[in-house]
Order: sequence, then structure tokens, then C-alpha cells
Amino acid sequence: MNGSQGSKLRLWSCAAIFGAAAAMHSGLASAGYNDGKVFLTGGVFTVDGAGGGGAVPWATITGYETRDGINGGIGYTYANLPALQLNVFGGAIGFYDRFELSYATHKLSLNLSNLDTVALVAEALGGLDLGTDPWNSTLQMDVYGAKLRLFGDAVYTSDSWIPQVAIGGLYKENKTGDLVRTLGANKAKDWEAYLAATKVFFPLSTLVNFTVRYTSANQIGLTGFGECSADGCTNDKEFRFEASVAHLLSKNTAIGFEYQQHGDNLDGKSVSLAGLPLEGLTGLLGNLLPGVEDALTQEKESDWMDVFFAYAPNKNLSFVIAYLMLGNISVAQDQNGFYMSMHATF
Amino acid sequence: MKLSKIGLSLVTGAALLAASAQPAFAGEQKTKPILGIPKSALDDFGGAAGVHAWVESLFYYIMLDNRISHIFREFGNVERQIALNTQLEQMVLGGAVEYQGASMSAAHADLGITMTQFNAVVEAAYNACERNNVPYKTCNHLIAALAPFTRVIVTR
Ligand code: HEM
Repeated sequence: MNGSQGSKLRLWSCAAIFGAAAAMHSGLASAGYNDGKVFLTGGVFTVDGAGGGGAVPWATITGYETRDGINGGIGYTYANLPALQLNVFGGAIGFYDRFELSYATHKLSLNLSNLDTVALVAEALGGLDLGTDPWNSTLQMDVYGAKLRLFGDAVYTSDSWIPQVAIGGLYKENKTGDLVRTLGANKAKDWEAYLAATKVFFPLSTLVNFTVRYTSANQIGLTGFGECSADGCTNDKEFRFEASVAHLLSKNTAIGFEYQQHGDNLDGKSVSLAGLPLEGLTGLLGNLLPGVEDALTQEKESDWMDVFFAYAPNKNLSFVIAYLMLGNISVAQDQNGFYMSMHATF
Repeated sequence: MKLSKIGLSLVTGAALLAASAQPAFAGEQKTKPILGIPKSALDDFGGAAGVHAWVESLFYYIMLDNRISHIFREFGNVERQIALNTQLEQMVLGGAVEYQGASMSAAHADLGITMTQFNAVVEAAYNACERNNVPYKTCNHLIAALAPFTRVIVTR
């Protein structure tokens, strides 16, 4: 694959975000820089780059700007699970508390001995390109997002049940197409759309968000979109439900949980070798390495859940630590672990 | 036909009566937060004295904030505002207190207040709660009770 071009593109997008952030910080200050929003009401940095919780995009527009100006920030997230480590870096800019643009780049390192075995076998078979090297499988994905606030005010309409509602779109470009297809997905690049509703209930000191996402993603796109089997490939989008609840302990400290429904595209699928399902091969391998067939069959994709703690010492910085319960991911079971995210706003 | 006319004039008469029954100075009504205001809210705030102390702190923080203090220096009357806010805040928290000032729309219409400036006052409100040891949750009841005024206060 054209790796150098990919990384150049990523570098450019990073540079663009840094540039924009720097410009907002200095030169553009008079033109529209604004940080008048109340603490934490812009949300933090989701893994999709959009403003929201940890995984769930909210209807709130990122940054601390009000309708009077522009604000934004950069975020970094690290998640450490038994079989994988996820690094996400990105940024988002909010315009007039109305519109948001975001970017995030993912690096997911897998340390799965069973996948390593496949890679070793592939190498032994004469260099099939599976996108996975022995001892080194890294999935990469870029996510571009936009969000438009439709109506409502999440914060101040305490005398009405109408929430703040926004629609958003994400374009996800998985850079590791070979590996994604090895795991049985159909497409490496695809779009998603979502509708989010957010409301702060002051008397309960609690923010509630519901999101419906229209998508065919496997593990948010990290393992591609749709599926391929012997009967051909499909990429059927469906509506999936997500929710966040954040309870504020004080004006800058929150605890809460999140839920994100996932699909079942790759459930029970065997890892495939360059388009060939592994069944035949695993039979053969099974004789050599007992249990390999099971080990290469992907588990039922679990919904994601997490509990989190968020703290914003000031308006320029917020930290989130979370315990993730992501369940089965591809061929790995029980992927529970820690998540840490930092979001700097300007 | 005639009957309905009589009915109509009766209704208008009742409406007029209701309107005139309101004292002229009752410029603002209690807000109606969807989750209500607990009966204990005013007591939790420290009663009338607690609210008064909080309003004093509120104006202390407002006058320290460069983003908004100039508005109050130019157009405000801090002593009068402290007195009237003490009434208003007790009223929205459920206290049997008459608010004697102007309506929120009348008081702020000409000021061209932005969302940013409004949020600055909200920040001062939270700072005042912290300063006066009003618990965060109690503070949020007052914020919930005042939040609906955003619509008429923020005009830009
Ligand atoms: C929920 C928030 C607010 C409440 C409850 C509130 C309450 C009041 C009250 C009770 C008065 C006295 C009215 C009278 O004199 O009859 C007043 C006046 C005033 N308020 Fe506010 N206010 C709020 C937000 C703001 C904001 C955000 C600003 C500016 C940044 C502001 C600036 C003023 C000024 C300058 C006056 C004096 C107007 C005059 O005397 O002509 N207020 N407000």
C-alpha cells in the first residue's frame, strides 16, 4: 500500500489542525475567538473526533465557544486492553456553537498470538499479503467528521423537555485494507451518519445523551465495514443505538457511563487468507496446532460499555479516565481495560 | 348568537379583572423548571439571609470579571440590583417573597447582552455558590430556576 502517501496526508491534517488552533489562539483572536461556554458543556474528545463523551458523539458542539465565536481543541486518547492498544489523536473546531468539523487518526496495535500464527503461515506459504506481519499487526484509520446543530439548547431550557438535537456525518478511511479483509470485512472506507439529542438536567446535575447511528461498521470501522463470506459481500447499514449519562459531582468533575450498540457482521467468521476462508487451511493447521480453528474464528462482536471519570481543571484542559468493557473484539475475548483521554481547548 | 356574545364579554371581563388583580410591580413570574424545585431549596440555600449573602458574592465576582463588569458600571445600579435579585432569587426558589423590580425582558432588552456575557454571569453564580459554601447540587436548583430567563435576557 502507499504508506508514505498515507502518512503524509495524516501529517498534513495534523498540521492543519495545529495551524488552525494556533491561528485561533493568536491572530484570529479578535475575529471570532470565544471561550464563553460553561464548563464541560462542549463535551470532550470522542474516538471519532467529534465532540461528545468517549465513544458517543453528543448534540453539543465541540469547544468552549458560544454562538458568538469560534473555539476548538486537540485530543489524545490511549486505551490499553489485553489484546490491543489504541492510540487516537485528533482535533475539532466548533463554529458559533452551531457547526463542528473534526478529524481523528487511529492506530490500533494488536497483539494476538493467533493472528501472528496466520501471518507466519502466510509467510511460510510464500508471502500472501494479509496486511498482518508476524508479531506486528497495526490497524490504522482516519476519521473526518462534521456536525450541525439543528435546534434546542442542551443547557438553558430547563423549563422544556426539548433537547438539543444535532446531525452528524463521519467518513472513515481504514488504511489497512488488507488486514481488514483478512478479518472478513467488505470495505475499508465508508461513511456513517448520526442523530444526537442532549440535555442537561440541572436539578439532577446530570447530562443525558442519546444517539442513533446509521452504519455498517465493525468495531467502529477499525475492522472495516460490512462482511464477505462464501456467498459474497454485503455492506448493509443499520440503525444502532448509543447513550451517555454524565453526572456532575461539581462544576468541573463528572462521572458516568456509556453504551454503544455494535453490529454482527463478522460474528463467527473465520479469518480469511487473501480472500480464501481459512476453513480448509485451519483443518490442515489443526493437525499441527490443535485449537487453531477455534482461535481463528471471530467472536460475536460485543456492544461497547464504559464507566468514566472526567475532570476539567480549567477551560483549556480536560482529562478522562475510563474503564472500558468492550467484550469480544475480533478473535479476542473479554477485552476490558483502561482508557485515558486528554482534550486541550484553545 | 346573543348568548355567545355575552359569554365572550364575560371572558374578556374576567381576563381584564385577572390582569388588574396583579399588582403593577409584579414584573416577573416564577419560572417552571420541568423537574420542579424541591420544597427545601430555599432553606438549603440558607433562607433569605443565605440568598442575600449569595447575591452579594455574585456581584463581587461580576464586578471582578473584565468581560462584563463594564456593563454593570455603565448601565447598572449594583445596590438596587442586589436588593432586587435577593427578592427574585427567593421567589424562583419558592419563597413567599414579592419581587418588586422590572420584568427580565424589560430590564435587559436594551443592553444587547450576548450568550458569552450571560455565561460569564453563570460562572460568577457558581463561584458565588462555592464562596458561600452552597453545595453544588443546591446551586443547580437555582441555576435551573433562572435558566429560562436566558431567552429574554440574551438578545444578541
Ligand atoms: C438569569 C440571569 C439574570 C438575572 C436573574 C438578572 C436579574 C436582574 C434584575 C432583578 C435586575 C433589576 C431589574 C430592575 O432594576 O428592576 C437586573 C438588572 C440588570 N441586569 Fe440583570 N439579570 C441576569 C442577567 C444579566 C446579565 C447576563 C447581564 C449583563 C451581562 C445583566 C445586566 C443587568 C444590568 C446592566 C441591569 C440594570 C438595568 C437597569 O437598571 O436599567 N443581567 N437584572
